[in-house]
Amino acid sequence: MSRIELDSVTKRFGDGTVAVNSLDLAVGDGEILVLVGPSGCGKTTALRMVAGLEEVTSGTISIDGRPVNDLEPRHRDIAMVFQSYALYPHLSVYDNIAFSLKYRKISKNDIKARVAEAARILELEPYLERKPRQLSGGQRQRVAMGRAIVRQPRAFLMDEPLSNLDAKLRVQMRAEIGQLQRSLGITTIYVTHDQTEAMTLGTKVAVMSGGVLQQIAAPADLYRRPANLFVAGFIGSPPMNLVDATLERADGGSPDVVFGPHRLKVPAPVVDGHPGLDRYLGKPVVFGIRPEHLSDATFAPDGEARSVIDLPISLREELGSEVQVHAAIGTSAHIGTGEADEVRSLATLIAKMDPRTTVEVGHTAAISVDCGQLHFFDPESGLSIRGQC
Amino acid sequence: MATAPITSSEDPAPAAPAPATGRPSLTGFKLRRKSYSWALLCIMVIVAVIMLYPFWYMIDNAFRSADQFDRQSGHSFAGWHELFANLPVASQLLNSTLVCAAAILIILAVSTTSGFAFAKLRYRGSGTVFLLVVSALMVPLQSIIIPEYVNLAKFDLTDSYAGAVLVYAALGTPFATFLMATYYRGISDDLIEAAVMDGLGYERTFLRIALPLSLPAIATVTVLQFIQIWDDLLVGLLFLPTNQRTITVGLATLSAGRTTSIPALMAGSLVSAVPAIIVYLIFQRYLIRGLTLGMGK
Repeated sequence: MSRIELDSVTKRFGDGTVAVNSLDLAVGDGEILVLVGPSGCGKTTALRMVAGLEEVTSGTISIDGRPVNDLEPRHRDIAMVFQSYALYPHLSVYDNIAFSLKYRKISKNDIKARVAEAARILELEPYLERKPRQLSGGQRQRVAMGRAIVRQPRAFLMDEPLSNLDAKLRVQMRAEIGQLQRSLGITTIYVTHDQTEAMTLGTKVAVMSGGVLQQIAAPADLYRRPANLFVAGFIGSPPMNLVDATLERADGGSPDVVFGPHRLKVPAPVVDGHPGLDRYLGKPVVFGIRPEHLSDATFAPDGEARSVIDLPISLREELGSEVQVHAAIGTSAHIGTGEADEVRSLATLIAKMDPRTTVEVGHTAAISVDCGQLHFFDPESGLSIRGQC
Repeated sequence: MATAPITSSEDPAPAAPAPATGRPSLTGFKLRRKSYSWALLCIMVIVAVIMLYPFWYMIDNAFRSADQFDRQSGHSFAGWHELFANLPVASQLLNSTLVCAAAILIILAVSTTSGFAFAKLRYRGSGTVFLLVVSALMVPLQSIIIPEYVNLAKFDLTDSYAGAVLVYAALGTPFATFLMATYYRGISDDLIEAAVMDGLGYERTFLRIALPLSLPAIATVTVLQFIQIWDDLLVGLLFLPTNQRTITVGLATLSAGRTTSIPALMAGSLVSAVPAIIVYLIFQRYLIRGLTLGMGK
């Protein structure tokens, strides 16, 4: 077990591409930190630098306080699980799991015992004599895990280990990895582009974009208090609705958010929670609201913080436990840059509604907005207005 | 307005006859496909006969005497007796084997390590060096044979196996390196990095992971180089002393004066061809895999 720290770590490739820019991270002993972000955000490069497979251009990577920048991968005592599993195809499952131990001067009996224990934990006992090609995807994934845990390393690095599995198996393996990591208590850095994996597995989640760390927080904090527009748009499925609006004070009380023909009253507790909001009176802001905080007014709970707006419905998606409804807002949604912003250019609000809702495409529906859950962002910097205070 | 009924995907398809749109029917397709297969088979048979006939001619006439060859009837071991009387077959076969084995060992040692380095290690100038090595493929042997001879003569290497072995190794290494590098490029980087993470250096990763996985490519190099070296005349003739001649050189000298018996020459050719065929048969399973590498998943 150990503590991993990245201090202003930068990776610049030969062609000048900056894959990771001044990354600061700290993973505590026994924690699981999930690095999440869209393709090309630098998360895998960061992981590979910790592994020692990529050289660090500048900054320091430390394990247990000891800088390891110049240490070869084999001397870092870190195990890595690859996206492709990287099982040795010419070796049996037993030999794959035992492989690293054979080069660490560990006695044969000890190797046997450790492999047996790993196989028991991962339910691989019946397959020890098989070759990787004779295993299913889930079994291969388990062998890759077995190869990592048998070493009893100081830390695990996992590079999208579930991305080659089908959706059902991915859910199962996700739970198994989580349980295994918690039971072993080994410090883990886990890379994924799947936010569900990130939210369910991580003690802490670090969101990256363009090689830059956007926010690092506990999953719930990340969801409830996104630091900027990127995080707000990236975390959550469907993503947070982000709309260009202006902030106006109509009657000397709480300000209103005005977008197109619509007006939402910002409740006093929200204003109190966003001390910087007053500075935006009469100015443009981007407001955000999660889909679950928009509902069919017929089924919405009563509450002072709620406002109702009438919106035409453009799409209705039945998901069984809920209905997702797309509603045209009559003004532009916030269009920024980057992958997470593409959804916002649709100029629609997405609402998660009660399955009993009767709203229909082509009709106007009364949508209840839980204004107590509004988020505000600076349209220029993209930072949460709360974050600036 | 009347709308067409919507049929679900589970509804049985209407059993209406196929419209006469001029498109060929399924039976037509089958017939055409079958005719194509037959035509292809006929062509392949003709090609096989053309390719195998000389081999059959060689076997048939190896077991005749000179008279039987002239009459083209009857079989005997007279040609074999004549061959063994005029040519030290066993020692020349041994010479061929030694030269082949030594040259192939050097080629494999150089090409596997350099191929791995070109494919998996990142260092400045790697691409340029690889290009230089591969460009050696373009140089014809005949254009460098004199400089090669002069250089090796300076080191007194023209009077033993060593000179020929080195020349064969030098000639075979560029292609072998190209083949091995291409093969190693097909091995996932993750696999190499997993071994590095498992505690191996690049040297042991090469020995324990890359080398065992490259057996098909090694087999391909072995077969191709074996056939090339075993059948070569020019290098053997120039760089090997008389008592260390290979079987191919021996056969050439046999036909150049010691005997004009066609059956004896056919017997010698058969002796010379058999080892190459055996090597091919042993490695053919890998050879096809090796030759088609990079063509798909």
